[in-house]
Parts: sequence; structure tokens; C-alpha cells
Amino acid sequence: MATFSAEVYQNEFLPDGGSDVHAIVTVTCAGAGEAGSSGSGDAAEIVIVDTSGSMGKDKILAVQQAAAAALDQVLDGVWFAVIAGNHEARLAFPGEAELGMVRMDAQTRAAAKYAIGDFEPKGGTAMGTWLRLATQVFATVPGLAQKHAILLTDGINQHETPEQLTAAIEGARGQFQCDCRGVGSDWQVAEVRRIATTLLGSVDLIAAADQMAADFEQIMRQSMGRGVAEAWLRVWAPQGAQVLFVRQVSPTVDDLTARRTEVNALTSAYPTGSWGDEARDYHVAIRLPAKAVGQEQLAARVQLAIGPEVVAQGLVKAMWSSDDTLTTRIDPAVAHYTGQAELAEAIQEGLAAKASGDTDTATTKLGRAVQLAAETGNEEATTRLRKIVDIDDAGTGTVRLRRAVDKLDEMALDTASTKTTRVKK
Amino acid sequence: MTQLTACPKCSAPVGADEQYCEACGAELGQPTAAAAAPAQTPGNETPIQSAPVTSGHDATCHECGGSVAADGYCSECGVKARSLRDHFTERPATWVAGVCDRGIRHSRNEDAMALDARAEPSSHAVLVVCDGVSSSTDSDVASLAAARAARDVLARSSASGIGTAGARVAVSVKALEAAVEAANDAVIANTAAGSGSPASCTFVAGVLDASLLVVACVGDSRAYWFPDAGEPRMLTTDDSFAAEQIASGVSRAEAENGPQAHAITKWLGSDAPDHTPSTTTLDLDSPGWVLLCSDGLWNYCSEAKDLAALVHQMDHAATPDPLGLAGSLVDWANTQGGVDNITVTLARIGPRPDITTPPVAATAATPAVHSGTEHREEGPHDGNVLS
Repeated sequence: MATFSAEVYQNEFLPDGGSDVHAIVTVTCAGAGEAGSSGSGDAAEIVIVDTSGSMGKDKILAVQQAAAAALDQVLDGVWFAVIAGNHEARLAFPGEAELGMVRMDAQTRAAAKYAIGDFEPKGGTAMGTWLRLATQVFATVPGLAQKHAILLTDGINQHETPEQLTAAIEGARGQFQCDCRGVGSDWQVAEVRRIATTLLGSVDLIAAADQMAADFEQIMRQSMGRGVAEAWLRVWAPQGAQVLFVRQVSPTVDDLTARRTEVNALTSAYPTGSWGDEARDYHVAIRLPAKAVGQEQLAARVQLAIGPEVVAQGLVKAMWSSDDTLTTRIDPAVAHYTGQAELAEAIQEGLAAKASGDTDTATTKLGRAVQLAAETGNEEATTRLRKIVDIDDAGTGTVRLRRAVDKLDEMALDTASTKTTRVKK
Repeated sequence: MTQLTACPKCSAPVGADEQYCEACGAELGQPTAAAAAPAQTPGNETPIQSAPVTSGHDATCHECGGSVAADGYCSECGVKARSLRDHFTERPATWVAGVCDRGIRHSRNEDAMALDARAEPSSHAVLVVCDGVSSSTDSDVASLAAARAARDVLARSSASGIGTAGARVAVSVKALEAAVEAANDAVIANTAAGSGSPASCTFVAGVLDASLLVVACVGDSRAYWFPDAGEPRMLTTDDSFAAEQIASGVSRAEAENGPQAHAITKWLGSDAPDHTPSTTTLDLDSPGWVLLCSDGLWNYCSEAKDLAALVHQMDHAATPDPLGLAGSLVDWANTQGGVDNITVTLARIGPRPDITTPPVAATAATPAVHSGTEHREEGPHDGNVLS
């Protein structure tokens, strides 16, 4: 049985007239068990792979190996299917005769691997059709508690409009989670990120086709280790308060604010998908009506809920004080993650400006990113930034854009921008 | 201690051992705010209680009336529920009561009080107030243990029936000295071993035996006597730097507002160099109020005549209501800023005089605290409880 705990890091002291409370809440899950073991319902997996013409013989071979590696990780008893996508979507396994899924066992695993062997590179790319088919296929099995997909593409969504893709993403929202991967340098990070963030999954770059199998294996192993099918982050704020934002800040930055659903007048819920044995950090910011010095009150109850049951709760407090030594201190965790979130934004905006030819904005934003990466000790980000800019002075964020930049390095910086380092507690 | 109490929900009488109210079915096991802190209404509806619950917190929010969640905060407005230690009352008899309150500026209530009284008015009462010294770790626990230990010693002793007045004074003084020792032991017993800032508190106690009042004091908590008519008196001298300055000729106002105003020279606790109490004896030969308080009250109204005026101004209930009056004085101190914990304990001596002037509401907006007495008619001097 999974157990959850919540820890709060904050400076609860507010100056006279102060109103904004910031806190980092670390939610930790232990004993999650295997996918489908929670008793709330079965787990299901769909592997969605790009078989468009651009994949070519080598990448198709890599995809076949990667899909097989993923299927090897799917636990026996878990429902599964394989979708091959180009400008349209095809249910490669269990087959096109009838939409459906099958339970994993030795026989179905072998049959699926055999079906994967038929993949041929042809046609274009329309990821929306892939997502629509996946949504339909998941819906054929009633009572599924945990639905997860891996999506691989190598190109831009050329054969449908952005609106069609948006409609397909929205149709899949809340239906299943999807980890997305792009192979090579011909796909668009922002486009695939849109799918991944809406479907509560990750986005990453697979630079070379031969790395695909290991990556698929790792994604599927992680998914099978998520025994808690679905959990919600709940934020209670007192009457008269305003929730400024709710943001996941570790392991990746992900703004949850707009995904709010109402539990009651004072409580909001944000979907967090499935959980394995892991810890996630959330940054919650609340604006309160200021109270007199000496008063104490609760600014937020931050809870993790499975269905209607609250399984962990952290209390965010506010105490008004006239003692400057208390009120001026910024909690190290809050400071760290505020910097990390700004770092992600600076990288994404800098790269977008660079792509549109706005050199000045790109230089300013990426300079700020270098500065933030140095301040928050994010060495991985610094290393990636060095491949895009020459750093004159990290302290002041003085940089020059490099002339010859490998597109893959730029994409690696973009996809990794939301990954945060943990604060040293 | 009485066996019968009232249901906190419907006020029907219930046995002390019962878990549910027969009349309305309310659970009695967990005392509600109403039970632990009776509404400060005059008269005898308020249950007599001598053992208040001082752990846990209110069941309903004291600010918005919302329900308090298990985490100790209001489920509606988020205000921290008032802990029962932060605000509690005692009313061992209709004529003796006290209110102990956190105030506004302090994060916890390190003041404490413990009371005892016989049912018959002006017969026998014990009032103890201890003010825990902040900056030491367990002063809130220690001060309450000290007050209760002292109260228990004093409640057992009675000088009535003993022949001469001098002998009766000697019995009470001896009991008070034993009470100080018991309180000091209680403070030390509640001090963590090797504490860098050992728990400590002040001590003021009054034993009233018929008309004889004996008061003992260590530190700067005070006892006053406010006769309905006649000269109000402060019965204690603070063991404080400010008091030493006053003794050397500095004005009270100046000394008590100086930088060292709150430095005390005597206290109870493991690091106290000397905790010998100073005692005062008084024969209460007229009706009036005995008031023992912490500096959370007298900070705002130190002189006996000023505090007497305030008391008389607020004392407008038809029947003497020590709980209501103590509550009014605590509320008043809070409206003055509530910078410290506030404890007010009162014993009513003798029947109250007729009041012919309408009551004056006590609010923060009351312009002067001196204005009450001039308009009062002096009551008859028939309150000598010795007769």
C-alpha cells in the first residue's frame, strides 16, 4: 500500500502589510507497488511510433527494436496495443480488424513483436490522428484505472492543421498520460511539448536512433513502477485569499495553475497523473488579506488526494511580524525553485527569439539563463548553454551567441530546460 | 468541585462522568470551546468550574465561527484556532473568577492562574497568578504547573477557627511560603535538564479567609484592593528594576516606561538567586474587589487609583460578576494593544452597592479611565464580612 507524505519549506513570517506567501511542498510516495496493483482497476499501455517516410530503413529498424524493448517491460496482465502512425493512424497490434487491446502474456508479446516486424517507412505525419486512435483504443477496455502511452516522432506535424492537433490533444486530456520522444533534429520541440504537458508526460530528445531502445525500455519500466494510478494535488486557501500559482518545480517545471478544477469554494484540484516511488516538489503562492502584526493563520493546506481521500497534507502558514530579521529571509527552497522556473522560461524564450532571428532578445534571455544556471548551481544547464553561447561573464549574464550551433544541441537545451536540480536541503 | 455540569450545547444538566448529553445527544467527552471558556455573561448560568481544560483547541473558530479542522486551523478563514491554553477561564464560585489570555502580540500564553473558592461568598478563596518569563523554553508549562501547585497547597490550608488575628495571619503567611516553595519546585520539575534558558515565572497569590487577606509576591505580578468606597490600594511591590528606581525617587510613569521597565529582580525557577516572597496583610472591612493580575493588564493602567477607576467603570452588572468583569478587563487590555499575556483574577467581597447611574460601556473609545468613580454613589458600609 502506497504511503504519501508532505513537507513544507517556507518562511512563514510576513512583514506588516505583507500579503504574499510562497512555499515549496515536497510530496513523497513510498511503497507504490506495480502498475495495476492498486486495486482501483487495470493498467494499460499503448506504444505509438512514427512510421512516416522520413524514418527511412535505419530508424524503422531502431523503432522496431525500441517497441520490442518497451513491450518486454510491460508486466503480464497489463492491457496493451501498438499504433503505427504516419499521415494516418493504424492499429498495428492487436490488428485493424477490430479496435481493442489485449492483456500481456508470453503469447501476445510474441505476436505483437511479430506485427511490429511489418513496419515500413512511408507517408507523412499527423500526430493528431495517432492521439485520436489511442483515445479510442483505450476506451475499448472498460474500467481501466491507469492509461499510459509512449509517443515517438521524427518530424513536424505536416499533414493536419495545428487546430486539428489541438483538438486531438484536448480529446485525449485526462484520458491517458503520454511520454513523448522526438528522434533526430527534424521535429519541433514546442509542438511535441504541447502534447506531453497536456497529457502529463515528459518530452525529450533522442539524438541518435540507436539510443531509442534504451530510452523506451526506461520509460516503460518507470511506467510499470507507478502503482498509484491517479492522484490529485489539492490546494485549500482561506476565504478571501487568492491562489497566485501552483507549479510543479521538481523533477521538472510544469505550471499547473490553469489545470485547476474546483473541489469546493475554497479548494482547487490539479491532476498529477500516476505515481511511483518518487518525490515531487510543488511551488504554491497565495495572496492573503494582510493581518495585524502578531496574528497567525493558515495560508494553504496542500494535499495529495487519491479519489476523495486525502493521503498527505502540508500546512502553509502566515505569521505577521515586525521583526525584520524574520520577515526579510527568503526560504532557500523557494529561492532555488523560483530561479529554476525563471531559468526554464529564459531558455525557452531565448531559443524562440533566436529561431525568429531576434538576436538581441536571444542574447539577453540566454544571458539571463546563464546567470540563473550559475546562481542555482544547475551545471547541466550551464553545460548545455555553453554549446549555444560563449560566456564572457556568468555572474552578469554577459554572453555572445555562437555562430555555428548544432541543431541537436539547441534541441537538447530546449527539451532539458524544464528539468530542475533539487535544492540542497 | 461539583459533580453536575451543563451540556455545552443545550445547557441541560449532565453528570460529570457522562459521555453524551441525555437531552440533545451532544458528545461530552471532548470539551467544546463553550465548556472550556464559558460565555462571559453575568449571572449564574455560567457553570461553576475549577479545573479548566488547557490542552487542545477551540472547536469553532473564534473569528469567523467556522469549524476548526483537525490540523488546528479554521476550515473557512484559516485562522489558527485559539488553543485552550491561550485563553482559559476559571470560576470556582460565583464570587471568584479569572481570565487568562494570550493577548495579541505574543505567540503563546505563558501566563497562568489557578483559583479555589468555597461556595459561600466572602468565605475562603485562593487566587494565584504566575507570569512565565518569555525567552525560556517551557515557561508556559512551568507557569501553569506552578500556579496549580501553589493553589493546591493554599486550598488545603485554612486559618478560620483559629483564635487571634495575629495567629491567623501567621498561618496564612506560612501557607503562602509553602505555596511559593511548591510553585518553585513545579517550575524546576518542568525545566528540561541542562536547559540554557531554564523556565521561570513570577508569583503572586492571595489567600482570603473571612475578611483577612494575605498576599505574597515574587516578581512583578500584582495584587490590588479596590473597595467600592475609599482608597484603592496596590498591595504588592514589584521585585523589579523599575520598582527600585521608584523607591529611589523616580516617578512611576518614568520608571515603568524606561528601557529596563520589565527587568525583574526576583523570580521562580532553577536559576533564581532568591525567591523569598514579600507578604502583605489586609483586613477587608468593606465591600469591594480583590484583583490579582499580571503585567499584561497593569502595563496599561499601573496606578491603583487608575485601575480602580477602570474596574468601577466596567463593573456595572446587576449582580457582581467577577468572570464578566475579568473578561472586560482582559478585552480592554487587548484593545490597548495586548502586547503581553494578560491575566486578571477577581474576588468579590461583600454585596455590591446600589448603582443609580447608568452603566458606562467599556470600549477602546472610552476617553478616560478616571471618569467612572465621580459619578458613583458610595454604597453603604455594610460589607464587613467579619460581622
